[in-house]
Amino acid sequence: MTEKELNYKKLGLKVGLEVHQQLDTEKKLFCNCSTSMKEKDPIKIVMRKMHPVASELGEIDIAAEFEFLRNRNFHYQIFKNETCLVELDDEPPHPMNPEAIQLALQVALLLNCKVPEEIHVMRKTVIDGSNTSGFQRTAIIGTNGYLKYKGKNIPIALVALEEDAAAHVKEESGKVTYRLSRLGIPLVEVTTESLEGHSPKEIQEIAFEVGMICRSIGKVKREIGAIRQDLNVSIRGGNRVEVKGVQELGLLSKVIELEVKRQLSLPKVEKEVRGAQEDGTTKFMRPLPGAKRMYPETDIPPIPLSNDYIQELKKELPEPWTKKFSKFKSKYKLSDELSKTILNSPYLELFERIVAKTHADASTVANTFTSVMKDLEKREKAEINRIREEHYFELFDLIAKKRIMKEAIPVILKYLSERPGETVTGAVKELDISPLTAEELKKIIEEVLQHKGLIFEKAYGIVMSKVRGRIDPQIVMKEVKRMMKL
Amino acid sequence: MKILYSPEIESLLKSKNIKIGDKVKVLKRKFEQEGILMPRIELGDPSILVLKLQNGYNIGIRYDKDAQIKKIESGKSIRFIPAKALPKKDSQKPTVSILGCGGTIASRIEYKTGAVYPAFSPADLVLSFPKLKDLANIHGRKLFDLWSEDITTEHWKIITNEVAKEINKEKVNGVVLMHGTDFLHYTSAALSFMLQNLPVPVVVTGAQRSSDRGSSDNEINLLSSVLTATSDIAQLTVCMHANSSDEFCYVHSGVKVRKLHTSARDAFKSVNVLPFAKVWYPNSKIEYLRNDFSKRSSGGVKVDDKINPNVTLVCTYPGIKPEFIQSLNNYDGVVIAASGLGHVPTGSHGDKFAKSLIPTIRSLIDSEIPVVIAPQTIHGRIDLNVYDAGRMLNQTGVIGNGCDWTPETALVKLMWVLGHTKDMKKVREMMLTNIAGEISERTEVETHD
Repeated sequence: MTEKELNYKKLGLKVGLEVHQQLDTEKKLFCNCSTSMKEKDPIKIVMRKMHPVASELGEIDIAAEFEFLRNRNFHYQIFKNETCLVELDDEPPHPMNPEAIQLALQVALLLNCKVPEEIHVMRKTVIDGSNTSGFQRTAIIGTNGYLKYKGKNIPIALVALEEDAAAHVKEESGKVTYRLSRLGIPLVEVTTESLEGHSPKEIQEIAFEVGMICRSIGKVKREIGAIRQDLNVSIRGGNRVEVKGVQELGLLSKVIELEVKRQLSLPKVEKEVRGAQEDGTTKFMRPLPGAKRMYPETDIPPIPLSNDYIQELKKELPEPWTKKFSKFKSKYKLSDELSKTILNSPYLELFERIVAKTHADASTVANTFTSVMKDLEKREKAEINRIREEHYFELFDLIAKKRIMKEAIPVILKYLSERPGETVTGAVKELDISPLTAEELKKIIEEVLQHKGLIFEKAYGIVMSKVRGRIDPQIVMKEVKRMMKL
Repeated sequence: MKILYSPEIESLLKSKNIKIGDKVKVLKRKFEQEGILMPRIELGDPSILVLKLQNGYNIGIRYDKDAQIKKIESGKSIRFIPAKALPKKDSQKPTVSILGCGGTIASRIEYKTGAVYPAFSPADLVLSFPKLKDLANIHGRKLFDLWSEDITTEHWKIITNEVAKEINKEKVNGVVLMHGTDFLHYTSAALSFMLQNLPVPVVVTGAQRSSDRGSSDNEINLLSSVLTATSDIAQLTVCMHANSSDEFCYVHSGVKVRKLHTSARDAFKSVNVLPFAKVWYPNSKIEYLRNDFSKRSSGGVKVDDKINPNVTLVCTYPGIKPEFIQSLNNYDGVVIAASGLGHVPTGSHGDKFAKSLIPTIRSLIDSEIPVVIAPQTIHGRIDLNVYDAGRMLNQTGVIGNGCDWTPETALVKLMWVLGHTKDMKKVREMMLTNIAGEISERTEVETHD
C-alpha cells in the first residue's frame, strides 16, 4: 500500500473532483415539473437534431462538432407530470426554484465558501444531446471554500447549482435515447481544486466527505445515481482526461487506478472525455472541449442575495455530517465501515425508519441494505426494486420477534422480488423456512447420520442443505459434531 | 458595449481608467476575486459589479465602502476569425437570395466575454449551415434588423421592392426572407397581396428558439425554406417547424397561417386549409400535400405596393361599449374579430344590461368606413345567416359573410384594398374576391382534427 502511494506521488498524480448531488425539492430548478422520476412508461418520444454554433474562432472549433453530430439523432422520452415544454426547450425557463437556491447555499456555507452577492445563471454549451437546449444552465453559489480532511484543508474551487441533464438510456447506430424526466432536477456540483499528493483511496475518501456534507442538508435524493462523481485525472507530463459519471463511490479509487494505468500504457495521452463503466474501466465519449464554453442565460434575470438572508442561513445551518457520523455510530452501534456504507446508501432513510419501528438489530438491517442486497442484485440478478417497503417492515418485525432467522433474509427477498404481490409470512410458508426447534434439528441430523461412513464435512453439508435459513449454521455445526461424537 | 452601472461606479471606473472587458481584481474584506469586468445587463442592481471568472462563470459583487477595484490588465479587443469565402458558384445549382428583416438566424458566440453576435453574411450562413451550399448558391443581405412587432406597412413596401429586385434584376430562382416570428404572418399576408404574379417561390421563415443554442430550429427552418425556394411552389409561403420533433417543416400559404403559440417550435399552423407541402429534414425531400398552387414560370413579378395603414383591428368582448366602436371613426377601415360565427352584441330581448353594437356599426358604414368581420375563434368560417345576431349584423352592410380568413389577414387585406380605392362598392368587391388564396371555397376535413 505504501509502495503504491509512493508511486502515485512520483507519478505526479493530480485529480480534480466534481461531486454532483441531486436535491430533493418537490419541483424542478426551472419549471414546476415533479422531480420524482416515478413514471415508468414514456407517453411520447420527441426526436431532435443538434448542430454546432460557431464561435469567434470560426471554422477552427466547429469542425469536430459537425463530425460528431452529423449522423446523430436524439430521441427524448416524455413522461407525464415529469416533463413539460421547458424540458423540451419549447418554453423559456421559469424563475429559478428558491428552495433549491437555499439548499445549495447551505452546502456552500458548510464548505466555508464565499457566496456571491448576485447569482448569474449561465449557459454551458453541451453537444451530446443530454440537454435539449444545447446547453446546461448553471450558476455559481459559492467559491474559495475548503473541507477539513486528515487535519488539512482541501480547497473547494466552487459550488454550483445546475440543472441535471437528461438520463442516457441507450445508443444504437447514431440514435441516442434520453429520459427527459431527469432534465432540470436541481443538482449541486462541488468542484475541488486539482488535488496533488493524494492516493486514489484518499481521493475516494475526500469524495465521500464531500458527499456527506451535501447530504447533511437533508433534502437530497438518495436513489442510485442521485450522487455522481466526475474526475479529472492526469499524471506528470500528460494531458488531462475527464472521466464522467462514476455512480458508485466505492469504485472511485479503482477508476483512478485503472485510468492511471491506461495513461501509463499510452505513448501520448489524448485530451478527452471518458465515461466510467460498471467495472471501473472507462470508455471514450468525445474529445475534451477547450475552456468551458459559457455565456449568460439571458432568460433569467440576476438573483440578488442580501447579506441579511445569508446571515440568517448561517445561523440555521444544518449539523455537518462529522457530528452526525459519530452520533449515528453510537446510536446504532455500527462499525465505522458499516456506518459509512449505510450513511451513503439510498436506503439510509428506510433503514432509520425500520430500526425505529421494528427494533430489529441495526447491523442486521444495515447489512441487508448494503451487502445482502448488492449480492442479490449482482449474483442472483434479482430485481430488488420490485420489493416493497411493507415487505421490509414485515421482514424485520418477524426477525425482531425471532420468528425468522436472519439467515433466511436472502431467500425471502429473492422470493419477494419475483412475487412482489406476496407477503413475508406467505413467503416463509411457501419456502418452508420457519425456525427449527432443537428437537426438529436433532431429528434431521439423526436421519442423515443413518447413512454410515459419512465424514463430518459431508454430513454437515447434507444437513445444511435441509435447514438453510431456518437456524444459525453455528448451532448446526455444533450439534452435528456433538452427535457424531467428534 | 454600453455600461449600465450606477453613476458612482461609472465615475469610479473612469477615474481608474477601467473599461468593460478589462481584467480586474475586486478586494472586499479578506476576500479577493479576479475576473473580467462585464457590462451590467439592463436588469438587476446597478451597484453590483459583474465579473466573468476564469472558469467562465459570471458572479455579482456589490461595490460598497468595503470594496476596492484594481485594474490588472487592459482587455484585448475581440478578433473574429472571418468565415471562409463562399464556394464558387455552381451553375448546375439554383440560386437563392436570403434577405434579412430581423430576428437572428445565425450567431457566433464569443466565449471570452460570453457575448452573442448576430452573423448574417452569406459566408457566415454557410459556416453555420454547411448543408446550404448543397442546396443552392446563396446570395444574402440584410434589409433591416427589426423585432417583428416593430414592422410597419412602410417596411412591407421596402421588402416588396427588394424581393422584386432579386427576382426581376438578379434573376434568382427563389427568395427566402428571414423575419422575427411574432408578426411574421402579417408580413407574409401583406407580401401575398403586394407581390403579384410571382414566377418563383418567396418563402418567409424565422426561428422560435434563439440561434445561439445548438438545438435552435434555425437550421431546419432555413434549410427547408431554401429547399422550398428551389421548388415549384411559386407563391408567397411560410416555412416553419411542423411539430416538436426535428422531422419536417410545413410550407404554409402566406395568407392562411398564424402564430398560435408563444414559444414552441411548431407555433405556426395553417388555419382552415392544409399546408402546401412537408419538407423532410435532414434528407431534404419535399412531399406535396396540395396541388392547387401557382407553378414556377418565366416572367417578372409585379409590384403592387399601394397600401393604407389607417385601418384597425378590434376584438369584441363581454360588455363592449358601443362608444368604443363609435370612436373608431377616425380610421379608414375597421376589422372586427367577432365571436362565434361572426356575432357582436345586439342587445337581444330588450335586456337592460346588454348594449347593441348594431347602430354604431351601421353609422360607421354610413360614413363610408368599411367594416370587415373575421372570426376571433381563428378556426372556422363566418356565417351571418344562422342566428338573429348574425342576420342583424349582415344587414348593416359588413363585409365577410362566408369568408374563412384570419383576423390578421382580413386586416392586411383591408389595408391593401384601401390603398387602391375608397369606393365602398369597390372595396366590398375587392375584399370578397379571392386574390391570394385568403378565402377558401371548401373546408377540408383534415384541417380540423
